[in-house]
Amino acid sequence: MSTFFKVAAICLALTFNSCATIISGSRQEVLINSNPKKALVSINEIEMGQTPIQKKLKRNQEYNVILNLEGYKPYRTTLEKKFNVWYVGNVLIGGIIGLVVDPITGAMYKLKPEEINGQPKKGTTYRTDNGMLFITISMEVDPDWEKVGQLERSE
Amino acid sequence: MIMKKEILFIMTAIIIGLSGCSPKISSNITNPKSTLSSNEEVAFLNVEDPLPENLVKIGELRFQDSGFSTDCSFNSLLNKARIEARKNGANIVKVTNKKKPDLWSSCYRLKIDLYNYKGDVSNLEQYELKLD
Repeated sequence: MSTFFKVAAICLALTFNSCATIISGSRQEVLINSNPKKALVSINEIEMGQTPIQKKLKRNQEYNVILNLEGYKPYRTTLEKKFNVWYVGNVLIGGIIGLVVDPITGAMYKLKPEEINGQPKKGTTYRTDNGMLFITISMEVDPDWEKVGQLERSE
Repeated sequence: MIMKKEILFIMTAIIIGLSGCSPKISSNITNPKSTLSSNEEVAFLNVEDPLPENLVKIGELRFQDSGFSTDCSFNSLLNKARIEARKNGANIVKVTNKKKPDLWSSCYRLKIDLYNYKGDVSNLEQYELKLD
């Protein structure tokens, strides 16, 4: 999209309004947790750290998320961009500029974990609170791992 | 009362907003190989990074601004290129031409060659993907 057009649209947005951009912003806070904790989280194959982990992700992108924890099967899921209902606010209050600005900033989307037949993928639970996405992944034990003992710290 | 023209504009904007924000990808895959698994590493070689020897060229990709593209940062395009690379059996994504965002487009526009390399790609001098 032309930079000139974007700059012009953003300037106009300051005068008029862009519902989703103002309410939601172009990024969304996402907190990823796991059961058990301390799983290594990779987003788009970039190591981010151990669960629980919080990231501010762009709303207009999709992300591949992988959780790895020794003794458990790797868990793969996708954060998909879905329609943000605040975008409809532009239609309701006549914010025609917002109809253009919100797609540019990405605010017309919200991130959501992938669904299969309308249900979250097995092992995923999530909720949204004040625009922040909380995801909890239940890791499945890998039967190929066998516990042979445990080291204990001596006094 | 909203007039017909306004309704048409709103509907057009919504349709464009929902469907038209991805960059345009053209591919020319001349020598596809069997698909790589997501565990197999793919190296990103930037314009200045040298190619190793003994490569098999798989094909070419071109990322352009569709006119309504918004998800078109350098890292985002490389991530999309990696998906195409694995699908066609390539483990090197080599950027051959890079146009940065300018007055005419806020998108990166890339020409990319895809290669299959028999050696260990992790040893190559490469660009490290970042999260935008």
